[in-house]
Order: sequence, then structure tokens, then C-alpha cells
Amino acid sequence: MTPVAWPARRLAAFEIASVPGNERTARTRVAQTVAACGLSPAQLDKLGTAVGEATMNAIEHGNRGRPELPVEFQVFQSGDEIVVTISDRGGECNAGGAEASAEAPDLARKLAGEQSPRGWGLLLIRHMVDAMDVITEGERHTVRLTIRGHESDE
Amino acid sequence: MNEAQGSMRIRRVGDAAAVIDIAGDVTADSEPTLMSAYEDATDQGCKRLLLNFGGLEYMNSGGIGMLVTLLIRANRQRQELAAFGLNRHYREIFELTRLDEAITIYESETSALAGGTR
Repeated sequence: MTPVAWPARRLAAFEIASVPGNERTARTRVAQTVAACGLSPAQLDKLGTAVGEATMNAIEHGNRGRPELPVEFQVFQSGDEIVVTISDRGGECNAGGAEASAEAPDLARKLAGEQSPRGWGLLLIRHMVDAMDVITEGERHTVRLTIRGHESDE
Repeated sequence: MNEAQGSMRIRRVGDAAAVIDIAGDVTADSEPTLMSAYEDATDQGCKRLLLNFGGLEYMNSGGIGMLVTLLIRANRQRQELAAFGLNRHYREIFELTRLDEAITIYESETSALAGGTR
């Protein structure tokens, strides 16, 4: 697991109900939180995509779309590193590591009908951030996204 | 209805081409709207469909899945799909998913209209 560079300052903590569409709220809250943290516009776009996808997974798969179960967020900063954690209650269902076992999406296979047209979320997350870690502790399942503010916008 | 749901407006351009102007968010919820626009274009005999992403605000993996479904249908009908108006972020996503190998990407509507069939 990618270690968090300590000391880390927590910038925000909030939760959303597990209702499809609420990932928009999460993206907005995270964007507002990190707006002044020195990320480039390109990195902000990437972080927004990664947060949106991880939140959708938490809503749909971790919390099984149950609105009474919250998805919990924390945003940390340490130096030029931003860390966003997204936690749901699907830990016991994910004990085998759903993220690790998901089949890699292949456009050619999807066009041939060998894979569902969907299933792009994890690919997007992994390529949008510098590190993605998954932590399961009992029923609590947490995805931790790390992005480092070193990219130029050329 | 999701307040951020995108809109898709179809414009006929030339004899056998149509532009679908996309605005707002493109997610799995957009599928009925996009497929309705696609069917309208197909009913009009369009063999070339140009997706204008100039008004796109956000597209997620559900939206990408929807584009894959559109591609499958277009391939069956031997129609060409092309796109323009993508910003850098979404061009990168098209490259990451290899959608750019199946959907020709142009810099502008003008160049997209000038592009021939592959």
C-alpha cells in the first residue's frame, strides 16, 4: 500500500447518501476543497473523474444503492500530495478484492460482444491518479486516491 | 430526472451525415436520449454521424459504455462515427479506452465534415 506522507492535514470530511447521481455532489465538494492546493487544471479534471468513478462504485456496489448507507469522504493534504478517501460498507462483500479481480476492459472484445459495454470505471481511476489503494477493515471498504501536484499543463 | 442530464440535438448536414450536439453530462442515464437521436439519424438515412462534444461538461464510465453501445449499433448498420469538440481531458480518456481507434476524432466541425469515409 502506498504510504501517506505524514504529517497530513485534513482539509475536509463529509458524507453523501448512496443515491445514484450523488457522485456529482462528491466531485463538487472535493473540487471546492482542493481548489487552492496547487493542482493544475488537468489534474483537477483527473481527480474529479477518479472521485466520481470511485463514488459510483461505492454507491452501486459497496452500499448496494441503499440510500440510508452513507459514502464517507476525507480529503488530506501533505506537501504537494492530495489524498482523498472514499469509504462504503461493502467491506465484507469485497473481502476477495473486487478491484483486483475485475476483468480489464477491452474495447475490441466489447465491440465483439464478448464483454459488457460497461466496466470502465477502475481503468479510469487507475490512470487518473498517481496511486489507488484499497483498504478493507470489517464491513468498511475504503478506496484511497493519491495525486501529486507535480504535473505541468503543457 | 437527474438535473445534470445531458441534452442531445441532432442536425442534418449534407445528404448522408448528421451532427449530434451533446451538452451537459453524459452518463448511463443519457442512453435513451442518445439512442433516440441515433435512431432519428438512421431513419433519415445518415451513414455518417458526427458527435459534437463541444458542450460536454462531464462524462463518466457509464457514458463511455453508452458510446460503446452506440458503436456496436453503428457497426451493424455500417455507419461511420466521428467526434469533434473534445477537450484535452476527454481526448485522453478516448485514447485510454481506445475509443479513438474506433471513432475518428477531428479538431473541429469543419474538419469533421471534410473528412471522408474510412
